[in-house]
Amino acid sequence: MLDPSFASALASLLPASSLLTATEDTRPYECDGLTLYRELPAAVVLPETEDQVVRILQLCHAARVPVVARGAGTSLSGGSLPVAGGVVLSLAKFRRIVAIDPLARTAVVEPGVRNLAISEAAGACGLFYAPDPSSQIACSIGGNVAENAGGVHCLKYGLTVHNVRKVRAVLVTGEIVEFGADALDAPGYDLLALITGSEGLLAVITQITVKLLPKPQLAQVALAAFDDVEKAGVAVGAIIGAGIIPGGLEMMDQPATRAVEQFVHADYPLDAAAVLLVEADGTPEEVAAEMDEIRAVLTRSGATEIRVSQSEAQRLLYWSGRKAAFPAVGRISPDYYCIDGTIPRAALPRVLRQIEAWSREYGLPCANVFHAGDGNLHPLILFDANKPGDQERTVEFGDRILELCIEVGGTVTGEHGVGIEKIRGMCVQFAPAALERFLGVKAAFDERGLLNPGKGVPTLARCAEFGAMHVHAGQLPHPELPRF
Amino acid sequence: MTISANGVRTRPASADVAALTDRLRADFGDRVVTSQAVREQHGHGEGMADAALPDVVVFPQDNDEVAAIVRLCDAARIPVIAFGVGTSLEGHVAALYGGVCIDLSQMNRVLEVNADDLDCRVQAGVTREQLNAELKGTGLFFPIDPGANATLGGMASTRASGTNAVRYGTMRENVLGLTVVTPEGRIVRTGGRARKSSAGYDLTRLYVGAEGTLGVITELQLRLYGIPEAISAAVCQFPDLKSAVDTVIVAAQLGIPVARIELLDEAQMDACIRYSKLEGFAVRPTLFFEFHGTDVSVREQAATIQSLAADHGGSAFQWASAPEDRSKLWKARHNAYYATLALAPGKQAFATDACVPISRLTDCVMQTRADVAATGLVAPIVGHVGDGNFHLTILFDPADVDERAKAEELARRVSLRAIAMGGTCTGEHGIGVHKLDALVAEHGDAIALMQTIKRALDPHNIMNPGKTVPLPGNP
Repeated sequence: MLDPSFASALASLLPASSLLTATEDTRPYECDGLTLYRELPAAVVLPETEDQVVRILQLCHAARVPVVARGAGTSLSGGSLPVAGGVVLSLAKFRRIVAIDPLARTAVVEPGVRNLAISEAAGACGLFYAPDPSSQIACSIGGNVAENAGGVHCLKYGLTVHNVRKVRAVLVTGEIVEFGADALDAPGYDLLALITGSEGLLAVITQITVKLLPKPQLAQVALAAFDDVEKAGVAVGAIIGAGIIPGGLEMMDQPATRAVEQFVHADYPLDAAAVLLVEADGTPEEVAAEMDEIRAVLTRSGATEIRVSQSEAQRLLYWSGRKAAFPAVGRISPDYYCIDGTIPRAALPRVLRQIEAWSREYGLPCANVFHAGDGNLHPLILFDANKPGDQERTVEFGDRILELCIEVGGTVTGEHGVGIEKIRGMCVQFAPAALERFLGVKAAFDERGLLNPGKGVPTLARCAEFGAMHVHAGQLPHPELPRF
Repeated sequence: MTISANGVRTRPASADVAALTDRLRADFGDRVVTSQAVREQHGHGEGMADAALPDVVVFPQDNDEVAAIVRLCDAARIPVIAFGVGTSLEGHVAALYGGVCIDLSQMNRVLEVNADDLDCRVQAGVTREQLNAELKGTGLFFPIDPGANATLGGMASTRASGTNAVRYGTMRENVLGLTVVTPEGRIVRTGGRARKSSAGYDLTRLYVGAEGTLGVITELQLRLYGIPEAISAAVCQFPDLKSAVDTVIVAAQLGIPVARIELLDEAQMDACIRYSKLEGFAVRPTLFFEFHGTDVSVREQAATIQSLAADHGGSAFQWASAPEDRSKLWKARHNAYYATLALAPGKQAFATDACVPISRLTDCVMQTRADVAATGLVAPIVGHVGDGNFHLTILFDPADVDERAKAEELARRVSLRAIAMGGTCTGEHGIGVHKLDALVAEHGDAIALMQTIKRALDPHNIMNPGKTVPLPGNP
């Protein structure tokens, strides 16, 4: 419940249609893409102008009311999960593409613009925006920046942090600040990189300048089948090791391909233990030369079948399966839990083998579909929340995967963010000295801790509690590992 | 104490320094040096030669030793200045408030090379040339190449770039993780070997470019690249500067993935021809190109560029495909700064570092050229123009107060012109002490945040004080 005087102050800033407080109106905002966690906000505000954002934040800051910024609500880590008693600040009405400059190859957009809408608008100039999370038809660019989103094409073209030039944002105190520059580099501390991936903990983004790339003249994808998951993992390393950086390098195992095939009929070989999708893009001559090399490496690595798309329609068909993998798995299992660990590529075969063993041990099926070229895993653990004990075992299985990722030198989240979901994993991955740096940065931007509290960076006290549960006989798990 | 009641940092009291030196000697023996010659050598980088000497220079050999030194400095509130090989251009290593210079040259081991994952881990004192020499035989290389043979720790601290940033990015894109000693003397690891991570704030990129003001970088995890199957280099000369710059802009807008495009104006070509004994070139505005890729893609890129250049009046390409010819060409480019110095023995030089959006590059270069001509100074233009970045190397006589003032004014106008065009005063050299004013002009409100971060992470202002971020009371 909002304090009545705060509520009336909020109402005075906004038209009635931009302020939701009734439970039936705020219910749609109770969770995001991670539906395991739900919380009703005290109010949802939908400002239309930057000035309204400034006033809302000033008001919340003065009244010490927590604020959670929200884009399209597709976060997979609970990044936009509301805070009890707090305000959800939706950027859904910030959906203008302000300018596209084909000479500078940039687009200036508002945070509520959908990821795919940028490429659609830039397409007229022969340009596109490279980072392409699978949710790109729905997710918004503001959320992409807040989470440093990745996607299929990030292997070659970089993550969100590599494709954003400038961000305009409002601090919790209401000041407007610009990070980055129109030129290649901005001097001083790299605040643009700090804001990118900060999960709404540092500021509320109101405008973004993204880089655009020329659309490749041609793209072709090779679909390779393997009779063994490990062989496919080795092939991934062999492709990169041969000096090829494909436009996309994705892997799906048999549980994933079977789920997808029933859903979108992408023409995948269903008897294969694993499938790799390898894309080459560029001029026709470059694509032809690269495809020859890719084919040679795949054959040497033991692929049992290789098909290369012969038309744009066929290329999109092969990708449709990959892009629809999450909803496809959603159709065959009452619930699934998606993990986002990222590891050095060379560790892929070992980690995949271990996940398979654990899947048998827990009796929980696991579909693997992921950005293999980046070493970014997305194991989808299939479970039924209505079966007693299933959810607990799923979370334990997931935690073990993440601890293994850290053990082999990786991270608990490649692209989905920490949110609420991986806050405990942060305590395992980072030592107190590093966590203190995070907290120092947070305090520099938001001393009162009002922006998206409880997410992203754990307090030391929280880590101590978590540590108390997991320290066995006074020993940290894997004490030999650097806790970075 | 080195901070007075009003928060202004002053040099530490000599008794405090003496006590600290004794403590350091006890732990580090003859790796603690206080001789005038060594302190002078550590009191300045390249560029403007105003030296400010540290009180002590220490040569640690591992992370723990660096941490131990910093803990002692923290306890005594004495400044800490990290030092690589002293090639920075903006006064980054000058010990403005005295203190302890940590020379990382003995931390020069390549710790691991993971060929399959295309990454490596090095100590901060490894130089870029040393790393590439050690990578010989692996088929891999590290691409970032500022003119000097700088240390990788220094390159990360200044967010260095180089001639092939258009294709490979700057240190921002190529540092995967760091080991940093904090101002309290704790060892922190950021990032790691995973290609991407969205865990926590991006501390790696916060320390990259922080110029040693938030901590001392002691180890780096770096991205490596496969040596391209085919490399070829070409030189093209133009009737005038504008045609050369326009060629670059069109190439950039078409998105041709040229690995390197370097512009040298007549004055710079003249200097390089003489200094590096380049044969067969005229004293005219010139572009150096390098193409990386497969045989097919290199041929295609080169053909496209050649026709663009011809459209702008460029000469036929002179090719350098043999490795020794290429390396002679690039050596000449990397030595441009020294070539300019050799034009006028006895004079000193400093470099400007404007970087503008590519669409404003022609305006910025042409206006700057006219500005140079009006001053009567010698200041050749050279630049990685593919990313909008170019340098003036301004020669001046250090004994001539007027000439020095004129040179500094010219440099200031270059910075402000770039900022007015939506660009930046520093594409790659950093802020150091010389560009603090320009940083304020460029960033406005964001400065306050940078100050707050500096205070949050280095509350006693002991890390390279007086650099990068202006703090009230500390000019």
